[in-house]
Amino acid sequence: MLSSLPEAIGILLSLEGLLVLILGTVLGIILGAMPGIGSTVAVAIVLPFTLTMGQAPAIILLLAVYAGSVYGGSIAAILINTPGTPQSAATCLDGYPMAQRGEAGLALGWATVASVIGGLVSAVVLIFLAPQLAAVALEFGPIETFALILLGMTCIVSVSTGSVVKGLMAGMIGIFLSTVGGDPILGEMRFTFGNWQLFAGFNLLAVVIGVFALSEVFIRASNKITTVSELVAFNGIVLPSWQMWKGRLRNLTKSVAIGNVIGVLPGTGAATAAFISYAEGRRSSPNREGFGKGEPDGIVSSEAANNAVTGGALVPTMALGIPGDAITAVMLATLTLHGITPGPKLVEDNPTLIATIFAGFFVINLLLLPLGMLLSRVAAPILRVREAFMMTSIVILCAAGIYFVRGNPFDLLVMGGAGVVGFLLRRQGVPMAPLVIGMVLGPTLELTLRQGLILTDGNFFAFFTGHPIALVLALAALGALSLPIIRALRGGAKT
Amino acid sequence: MQRFANERVIVQLALLLVAVALYASTFGQSFSSSDLAQSPMFFPRIVLTLWIGLSLIALVQAVRTQADVAPIASWTRIAVVLISALIYTNVIGSEGFFLPSVVFALICLPAFGIRKPFIVAAFALLVPGVLVALFNHSLGMPLPTSRFTYMF
Repeated sequence: MLSSLPEAIGILLSLEGLLVLILGTVLGIILGAMPGIGSTVAVAIVLPFTLTMGQAPAIILLLAVYAGSVYGGSIAAILINTPGTPQSAATCLDGYPMAQRGEAGLALGWATVASVIGGLVSAVVLIFLAPQLAAVALEFGPIETFALILLGMTCIVSVSTGSVVKGLMAGMIGIFLSTVGGDPILGEMRFTFGNWQLFAGFNLLAVVIGVFALSEVFIRASNKITTVSELVAFNGIVLPSWQMWKGRLRNLTKSVAIGNVIGVLPGTGAATAAFISYAEGRRSSPNREGFGKGEPDGIVSSEAANNAVTGGALVPTMALGIPGDAITAVMLATLTLHGITPGPKLVEDNPTLIATIFAGFFVINLLLLPLGMLLSRVAAPILRVREAFMMTSIVILCAAGIYFVRGNPFDLLVMGGAGVVGFLLRRQGVPMAPLVIGMVLGPTLELTLRQGLILTDGNFFAFFTGHPIALVLALAALGALSLPIIRALRGGAKT
Repeated sequence: MQRFANERVIVQLALLLVAVALYASTFGQSFSSSDLAQSPMFFPRIVLTLWIGLSLIALVQAVRTQADVAPIASWTRIAVVLISALIYTNVIGSEGFFLPSVVFALICLPAFGIRKPFIVAAFALLVPGVLVALFNHSLGMPLPTSRFTYMF
């Protein structure tokens, strides 16, 4: 991979590469700063437009929007006490009190530096860990791959928000949706009910945009209209001096480590990391008394951890082809649309692409500092844009984007239907991430199961008796699935 | 009665019935392979069985727990936005992108509380107009046009 680095730098320094890096980060920061849009919707909105680009610029654009939006969430959290993204919810706890006492610029300065450091370290983790993991996974046959996907799915469900039953059900709905259309081995049609539009199955992007972006619009329409929050006085970012960091570096290191570890685990995500890191900071920081009253360590704990998740979450996505959360599932779908199959083979077969992605991700995190400083002034007035304009724009943009992908009006119907279904399911507390991940992983799960059954003459139990890695992975999956049940039983016993 | 006729129960019941109907549809079809594992319906049946089992558990949970979903703040607003969005995504293919987008924005913005006619009209014309200019003239991937003109 290192030998491909000069070529990767060449791609990044080309006009298209630079434009994508800068525009993507700018767009990510602005979309992330808008309360309610969030990283998943931001990535989903941009996604169709990547189809006009080459493989590397497309992925770089999505990564830039992803990293930028996670950072951008802190702007709204600090200036109007409303997190732009769920990942920044913990930042409100100390960011807004600090802004209220006239230190909004400094609060954003702490958030920016912590985000940049968290993101850069996670990029290094991604660069070193992903190829190692991919090298191990190269030894996997269909049976091990089947067990690995099973483990990934159960991890995602067991740690996803809400009930395990609903998470599993969402996963099953997603896997089922992936079976519509041609059978992967024999090519015979399934669940098309004579509709030729379904012969190629449901368009994944239409479903993703429907269940995340469109359903968000419907949910906003069903809630009380929020009034525009008052902005606190803000005159640009003030970076903390070296002296100010004294006694805070340990907290920063710990937060970055928490973010990276949680990021690598499938299904957890940046919001969980930010809250765990905040709780740890509150427990162990020398400045813990000030937490909740505008303590910089609180901002550092949350922002360093949530940005450190970004690189970590890409490790299983790139190395194993298993998305860690909804955002990486969307990225995985984009890779597939660009003819790239993520997984162990990707690192081996496309070293230039991987080197470009890794180097690009590092540069994006570096860009957060200057662009964050420049854009925070621009983003502040955007926070006052009324919900009506954002929601109407999202629907129109999504419609244009989805039509743009294949030029097929049927995809618009799928998006509309997915939006309504997503709205109804989200109101019942059914998480959408397992549905999308199920739809992404479904075809591989089916293929590896059926290939495995051919190898074992139809004996499913031979999957585990003759394949120790598969056995370990299956036991881990069983453990991941029983964890929430044990937790629920313990909770019940206590009460 | 409220215990059985609330949104939670109705949605879970609908999910269960959809799964059962899909499962039933897997029978009575002929496929080229008679081998169980290589049947195109082998994998979907496993998934649908799990879906049915899980939705049954979720249905029982919905009946037993009395927790209700978040109340709808305005039925009129959600009905207007939802129906207009569905009609909008349906008619783009036949009526073009620009005109349905303008009409959708003219309906959606007041539903979300924007009352100033000039702002509504300007936004409704500007956003779809910019997108048509971008897609049709810059990116070279034309959005659908209306039956009245090839321009938009």
